[in-house]
Amino acid sequence: MTTARAWLAGGWMCGALLAAPALAGQEAARLAAVEEVLSPLVESYGVSGMEAPVRATVARLLPAWARAQTDTAGNLWLTMGRGEPTVVFVAHLDEIGFQVRAVRDDGTLDAEALGGLFPSLWEGQPALVHTGGPDVPGVFAPRDSASSAAAPAGVALVRVDVGGADRAATQAMGIRVGQTITSPKRYVRLLGTRATGRSFDDRVGSAALVLAARRLDPARLRHTVIFLWSTREEIGLEGARAAAAALGLRPARVHAIDTFVSADSPLERRNFAVAPLGLGPVARALDNSSVTPPAYVDSLAALARTRRIPLQVESTNGGNDGSVFAEWGVPDVPIGWPLRYSHSPAEVVDLRDVAALADLVAAVAAGW
Amino acid sequence: MAAALALSLLALAGSPLGAQEREAALPDLAVRLAAMTAITGYEQRLVDSLLALLPGATRDRAGNAVVVLGAGARRRLVACPVSEPGFVVGHVRDDGWLTLRRAPGRVGPLVERQIEGQRVTLFGRRGAVPGVVAVRSIHLTRGRGAAGDGSFTVDSAYVDIGATSRADVAAAGVGVLTPVALAKRPQRYGPDLLAAPVAARRTACAALVLAARRAAAEQGMVPREESVVVAFVVEQDLSGRGLGTVANARGPFAETIVLDGGAGTPGGLVRGPDSLAVRWPRLGTVTRWSLGARYAGSAVETTALGGADTLATALARWIGEGR
Repeated sequence: MTTARAWLAGGWMCGALLAAPALAGQEAARLAAVEEVLSPLVESYGVSGMEAPVRATVARLLPAWARAQTDTAGNLWLTMGRGEPTVVFVAHLDEIGFQVRAVRDDGTLDAEALGGLFPSLWEGQPALVHTGGPDVPGVFAPRDSASSAAAPAGVALVRVDVGGADRAATQAMGIRVGQTITSPKRYVRLLGTRATGRSFDDRVGSAALVLAARRLDPARLRHTVIFLWSTREEIGLEGARAAAAALGLRPARVHAIDTFVSADSPLERRNFAVAPLGLGPVARALDNSSVTPPAYVDSLAALARTRRIPLQVESTNGGNDGSVFAEWGVPDVPIGWPLRYSHSPAEVVDLRDVAALADLVAAVAAGW
Repeated sequence: MAAALALSLLALAGSPLGAQEREAALPDLAVRLAAMTAITGYEQRLVDSLLALLPGATRDRAGNAVVVLGAGARRRLVACPVSEPGFVVGHVRDDGWLTLRRAPGRVGPLVERQIEGQRVTLFGRRGAVPGVVAVRSIHLTRGRGAAGDGSFTVDSAYVDIGATSRADVAAAGVGVLTPVALAKRPQRYGPDLLAAPVAARRTACAALVLAARRAAAEQGMVPREESVVVAFVVEQDLSGRGLGTVANARGPFAETIVLDGGAGTPGGLVRGPDSLAVRWPRLGTVTRWSLGARYAGSAVETTALGGADTLATALARWIGEGR
């Protein structure tokens, strides 16, 4: 594992150094193509269960030949090629956020977290309530200034103030229990090849599938490839579970295309998950939900090496959508990209990793 | 930002502000001022904008924006502080990460805690540079309470601007002492609420800008025997250098109003005596006019723009009538 990582990382670096002047324009164009897809996805809102805006953005970005379909779980399917084996790639549409749990007498909202997050990162920040109509702006009340009751054990509750003087005024804005809440977000380019935003998990995976679809010629595929944009991953892999049940024993392999939570930060312990940004996608060989069979890891690494696509091999924490295919005997070979500060309002990626991830997805779909 | 701010009010320049115009301009100006950053000691970008907005205004030796209305011997002063708490780059690491220190003056715990895991803006020598304050990934965290443990301080902050070396940082015009603040994103919500860091103070300053513009445009508004000094003062939360300089260079004043924001009913105006006259007797009788705010001192300090309009009207009346 270490050897493969070192070789591939070295190859990346050598390639960059040797061909830097010629690559500068080519790389800029590659990264611009990534941003053209990633930026609108990041700036779409879709808390678990309310993914329609993100699904619509994906559908809009797909190539003209694509005939994507939505199933009853809200998953978006793009099926390409014919014959077996069937290989499934799955990236999730949803993002973490909050749900309105109650409208209080004073007009403020009790909001419950959907997905794993630190509420402290949201308190004292602007808020948006997604009503299904126009979003309603507000603020996440800072705890020190709000007279909120203690949250029930095991439930992360925050208060949201939309400026309604009482319950009736707030409801008159169209706000109801069950609607979702996020914070306004923007895609922002940092120095060099880095970018920041919220919900890179898993809009990067979603973008990689879109970019790969743009490169694939479905007429030339020698087997069936399914790109699946799934729902409700953050609250229990629910969309993927429905898709896995629908496919049953048919898939030969599933690739979850999802975040590799990286320890590439001064704040993290570096005992595992050390996949630096900028060194390429990551074979997420082991996490809390799956272990990739070692032969598959080796084969994936060989493919990447052949195609001169950088690949890191590591382990991290978290679960992935591919793991729900396990009960059907489908090998799960998740592929990620290094992400800093996951599930925070300021996640950071390296766009070269995203471009290489799309390359790898296309290569695996067409040739593995 | 300064140019945009000036352009937005260009149509109002040189003509009296009617009530309808004032109502239309104030929310926009308040939002624009709230979107700007003026960390204590590094306020000059905001002062530049104020100078562009106020015909006849000059920058004094302390860096305040000052305009004098009228030419009479009896002087009065109305001042609005422009400074805000924030941070500066304390150190640049070899690997491109930045560490921070607090700018001098009061930096409340909410201001400090609410930059964790957020986007920040660094005001470098070559312009604004976006960055983020690192936070542990929840997936890799063990033993941290789900509700947040409140242990974050700026002393444990690492700022990530996408740099991978000290040279990257320098090339972006960023270095030790570069001011750093939470990326501003003023939020209008509810019937007429505005949320932003120091929203109430900035809204009060916006009200004063409009009142001063109105007075400057309406010849004879200030009584002949009087003059009114309008000052937007720096470093109010540190040494008071800005206000002190106005007192010593422009005083003595018969009376002074110091505007500010503070905890209270959003948009409510609280007027009360202030002890600043003890420190600077040349200020005369000092009254503090404080625009009320909910969540005061936080990144979503919230005031009501209706109150700001009331404040602008009250200020115009005070400038014109002497009380």
